[in-house]
Amino acid sequence: MAVAINDTLNVKREIKHYDFGMPFWEATRQKKLVIQYCKATKKYQHFPRPVSIFTGRRRDIEWREVSGRGTVFSFTIAHRGPPAFHGIEPYAIASVTLDIGVNVIAGVVNCTAEQLKIGMKVKPYWHPLENGEHLLMWQPDMDAA
Amino acid sequence: MGLRDNAIVAYAETKVMKKSDRDVWVLAGEILESLLDKTGFDKAEVDGLVMSGLTGTGGASMFWAQSTCDMLGLEVGFCEQVHTGGCSAVGAVARAAAAIDAGMCDVALCLYADTHVREHNGRNDRNYRRDWTEPYGLLGPPGAFGLLQRAYDAKYGVDLHALGKLAVTQRDHALLNENACEELRVPITIEDYLNSRMIADPIRLLDCVMLADGAAGLIVTSRRRAREKGLHKYVVPIGYAERTNFLGGENFVDVTRSGHEIAGKKALIGAGLDIKDVRSFHPYDDFLIALVIQFEAFGFCKPGKGMAFVRNTDLSYKGTLPMNTGGGQISAGQAACSSHNLIEAVRQLMGEAGERQVKDTANALVTGIGWINYGRNWGTSAALALVPNQ
Repeated sequence: MAVAINDTLNVKREIKHYDFGMPFWEATRQKKLVIQYCKATKKYQHFPRPVSIFTGRRRDIEWREVSGRGTVFSFTIAHRGPPAFHGIEPYAIASVTLDIGVNVIAGVVNCTAEQLKIGMKVKPYWHPLENGEHLLMWQPDMDAA
Repeated sequence: MGLRDNAIVAYAETKVMKKSDRDVWVLAGEILESLLDKTGFDKAEVDGLVMSGLTGTGGASMFWAQSTCDMLGLEVGFCEQVHTGGCSAVGAVARAAAAIDAGMCDVALCLYADTHVREHNGRNDRNYRRDWTEPYGLLGPPGAFGLLQRAYDAKYGVDLHALGKLAVTQRDHALLNENACEELRVPITIEDYLNSRMIADPIRLLDCVMLADGAAGLIVTSRRRAREKGLHKYVVPIGYAERTNFLGGENFVDVTRSGHEIAGKKALIGAGLDIKDVRSFHPYDDFLIALVIQFEAFGFCKPGKGMAFVRNTDLSYKGTLPMNTGGGQISAGQAACSSHNLIEAVRQLMGEAGERQVKDTANALVTGIGWINYGRNWGTSAALALVPNQ
């Protein structure tokens, strides 16, 4: 039986950031996705850390803008959410492998239960937050199909 | 001196309660009383306290173990709170033994007391979640295991009947365990598992642990001190290892692999055991899929063959590889800082498990799983091998 998937766009969110992750959030104001890159090992990492997880050094970190295109690595459909999400269930959350080789977890929008599959191509959907930042979410990438 | 020069000379546990009718320190006091009665140690001889930090009632307190010393009237040379999540129970035994070996104490109380249903005082967690998963409504462990189980399914295939068999086997064990949570001591079938409602699809209700209240404890001392005290029935820790942040220096990992690959091998080498020698297995169970992944990581079967291993192995207390013979946390209740499976292994090796007693008590292997990391599986993996003193 098909399960409807709701979006979570009406949830009230106040997200508290760490200072070392701010470049990510600042870039979302222009709907740009930036990911930490280690200059020494030439590898990306997500979520943002205070150091390169490959070398342990702060100085090896820089931020690079990436396309945000990727494929669904895994997903779960929440039938019971935390209090702020009560009444919205079921909704979907996907872990997506970006084309630069890191997994990024985010909610899924504009997608039916039938469409949502491991391996599905996705691209960013930028959901505006009250402070001018945007929350990264995933939506099907029809161009890539 | 080394790990195996130490002895677990007594265990104690309260019944698991859906919600405790008494304070967490009353439960702790009951455990202390029972352990003193069982061993004959005077309170003043207990000079080490090792507490699990995995407690909703006390874990957020910076002074939990010290406050507990104060409440119980203990004066100790070693006061420790273990913060490796669900690995804290076995981790406490290893730290108690290390402290005894280092001369910091002689008789250590490992204390696992929590009333997180009756009184939860918050977690004060500081980690990736506030930026990177909470804004999406990913519900803690069930959400993370939903992502994990679907990824496992894509790589190897999930057999829901095998998971159902695990649920039923553990439930049958809980029916034989008077200390298991009474509300869970109801028979279930594989159909019940399959029909249980979705929590975080593909995770069903009967995949999950249920929070419950309770306390448990162990007395760890040197084998020499045990002999001097006339304590001849004890259990010896012969191998221990833990691994935190497995492949933490890599950006993309196979989520079906875990630190148990390393911790399991190291603990078994320390114990001088091959995985085929393990006579009963007491793996940490927060979700059923974690049991399957552990069968693979410890080498009971090859990666990807865990579902077939479950199908083809009698995991009951009468079977070829008895598993979580007290019901596991999933069927006894997630109480007492997740020490249930450890206490059960000690009880089995002392031959005191009553109608669910395993036949072969040559050894037992207990594991831990602690904390949930970002998009992987879990933060700490631990393994403890135990033998009786005979």
